[in-house]
Amino acid sequence: MLVYTEWKRPECGVLFVTSPEHNLSPIGLEVADRLQTIVSEKKIDVPLLPDVASRVLAMSNDPDSDASQLAKLIQGDQALAGHVMRIANSAAYTPNASMVSLQQAIARLGMSLISEIALAASLNTKLFKAPGFEKRTAEIWDHALLTGLWGKEIARLSKKNVEASFLCGLLHSIGRPATIHAISEYVRKKEIKITLEEVHVLEDCFHVLFGDVIVRKWEMPAIVQESVQYYRDYNAARTNRDQAMIINAAAKMASVTLGLVSDSLSEVLEDNVFADLNLYKDEIESLRLQEEKVKAGQEAMRV
Amino acid sequence: MNSFDVIVIGSGPAGQKAAVQAAKAGKRVALIERDQWLGGACVHRGTIPSKTLRENALRVKKMRENAAICKFELAEDTEMSTLIDRLNKVIKAHDGFMVNQIERNNIVRVHGRACFESPTRLAVSKVRGETEIYEAKSFVIASGSIPRKPDNIPVDHENIFDSDSILSTLYLPPSLTVLGGGVIASEYASIFQALGVKVTMIDRYPLPLGFMDADLTEKFVHAFQAMGGTWMGEKVVKSVEWDGLSSVITTCEDGTVVKSAKLLCAAGRVANVADLAIEKAGLSLNETGNISVNNLLQTEVPHIYAAGDVIGPPSLASASMEQGRRASCNALGIQVGPMSKMIPSGIYGIPELSAVGLTEQQARKEHGDVLIGRAKFEEISRGQISGIKDGMLKIISDAKGEQVLGVQIVGEGATELIHIGQMAMLADRPVDIFVESIFNFPTLAEAYRVAALAIIGQRSEHSEVY
Repeated sequence: MLVYTEWKRPECGVLFVTSPEHNLSPIGLEVADRLQTIVSEKKIDVPLLPDVASRVLAMSNDPDSDASQLAKLIQGDQALAGHVMRIANSAAYTPNASMVSLQQAIARLGMSLISEIALAASLNTKLFKAPGFEKRTAEIWDHALLTGLWGKEIARLSKKNVEASFLCGLLHSIGRPATIHAISEYVRKKEIKITLEEVHVLEDCFHVLFGDVIVRKWEMPAIVQESVQYYRDYNAARTNRDQAMIINAAAKMASVTLGLVSDSLSEVLEDNVFADLNLYKDEIESLRLQEEKVKAGQEAMRV
Repeated sequence: MNSFDVIVIGSGPAGQKAAVQAAKAGKRVALIERDQWLGGACVHRGTIPSKTLRENALRVKKMRENAAICKFELAEDTEMSTLIDRLNKVIKAHDGFMVNQIERNNIVRVHGRACFESPTRLAVSKVRGETEIYEAKSFVIASGSIPRKPDNIPVDHENIFDSDSILSTLYLPPSLTVLGGGVIASEYASIFQALGVKVTMIDRYPLPLGFMDADLTEKFVHAFQAMGGTWMGEKVVKSVEWDGLSSVITTCEDGTVVKSAKLLCAAGRVANVADLAIEKAGLSLNETGNISVNNLLQTEVPHIYAAGDVIGPPSLASASMEQGRRASCNALGIQVGPMSKMIPSGIYGIPELSAVGLTEQQARKEHGDVLIGRAKFEEISRGQISGIKDGMLKIISDAKGEQVLGVQIVGEGATELIHIGQMAMLADRPVDIFVESIFNFPTLAEAYRVAALAIIGQRSEHSEVY
């Protein structure tokens, strides 16, 4: 086993940050190098769930469906939401626009156009397939959705940008499924096997870099880009530190809600990020009371 | 135990001046602020952010008006951060200045939330959980105000905002309903309208800004409507709700329904004392929800003083600063002269409004007959040059046409221009001073001369002097 510390490709200047204590096998290192190449060459593709595409198609053919159902469907899928927002924000539809919410996009562009955008995006993009990693991928999307919902509640409490917090939360880990997708494709092509544990390590190490490239490629607003890039190290954020802090806190709360960490909600609420958000004990307590609402929101938006 | 001569609660305009004054008197002072930054709502959520947005709104309005020189359209969904791009710099500069001042005067800065345990003792909860106890001989409560929350307006800071959260919206909405007709409502309504947002202003009174004369506020409404805004007076809001997709629905008691992308509830502000446990200090709120003080800014508990928004009107940063300074002076037995009752009010709408002294209505009530002189900005050379419409300066004098009782101005530059009238009133000079003094030409100050001449022309004696 080799000690996995850091990769740096001098030609692209990308330094990827990780915990130096992780050990990777030679295969793990080979995959890591491939991931580094994908990042530096910005050859990242964003997968879409075919299931979502079929649901959008069914909805567009159903005269009884309405805009709120469409919004719910799209909001439940971070990859599709990202595609819709990217295309809705493109020059073809809204020149010079910078829309941040799906509600805004649907209200502005209309339900049928948004349906078309969602369908076009799913049919023209390479479908996501990561055999063996389906459970983890579903977990990531659940976590992202919960992060968006917790982000809204934290932003509401802090009187910060509630609307943008949902999108920032939903997309903060968009690099994770993209990383897994890339790993899956590589190991299949090379006919090699990588352990789930190593996938976790690589996903954890690379997702910020993958996510950063994706949201830049999508020309997302600066607040989304910085949230993706700096949510783990919010003090490094240039202009949207508050938003990055909200997503950091929301992601931690989402992990508790999903049972991904052994900590209780009370323990997570002791985290420094809540103090950095200038939230006092009673305010944090009031946040805890939103858990049922957040869970209900997650259920409602689940695709 | 942390013992001080004076503890000041809140670092807004009142608190800051109170702390500095007490420190300059050689006292040991602590300044407690619940936020990470100094300055209070004035710096971070109110006065400074909205005025920064206003500066850009004025630029946009000017560019639109000068379409012949440069065709300009603001992009749809412009991000708010673009429009208050200088805000961080302004706030940082302000914070730096304040921190320097606090440190220079050896004021102990405490980041935490104060709660009275007794009339002389405070528990300060830190954001990371620990609690410290502070004692002092005197206290100045300057904890400011928070937006009032009417029961029928479900403020969610996402689609339905209050005045503390409206600037957190990321993009400029296509439409905005503003509830209220006070200073905050009028400022934001006109600023957003100038930026191209379709604004509907709803209030229970026939005109906004009821503390000013109707002929001035009519000009403001006219200017607002000329920009495309809609004023709906004499309407009582029954309910407000988000439709779950794209609109906030406002329903009035008369059945009127207004739909907009976002809504701002500006239904006044109330004293920010929820966490202070003032009852443990022996204090209570009065019927208006504020802390009562006497003319020394002293509360019902002799060693506790209060200043700024927490004591209610005029709720102006300018007045709060002076109140804060005086509260400390009074607490420390430092002699000060009587506080000037002549506090100008400034409304940073588009256009600006400003007033000092009595309104026409107040003057008639106090003095019986009065004389009124008006000058329209479009009749002043500078007004013509600058293309200022809907501008007016009004002087209210006694029945003889001599004593200046009040000045009211609507139009760009009003908040600066008012000080000429204020100084004349403070110096107790007659209306004639505006005619006998020589002002720069062309300037809007000429409006004083025109309005003064209008009064002099109505004098029963010697009206032909000028």
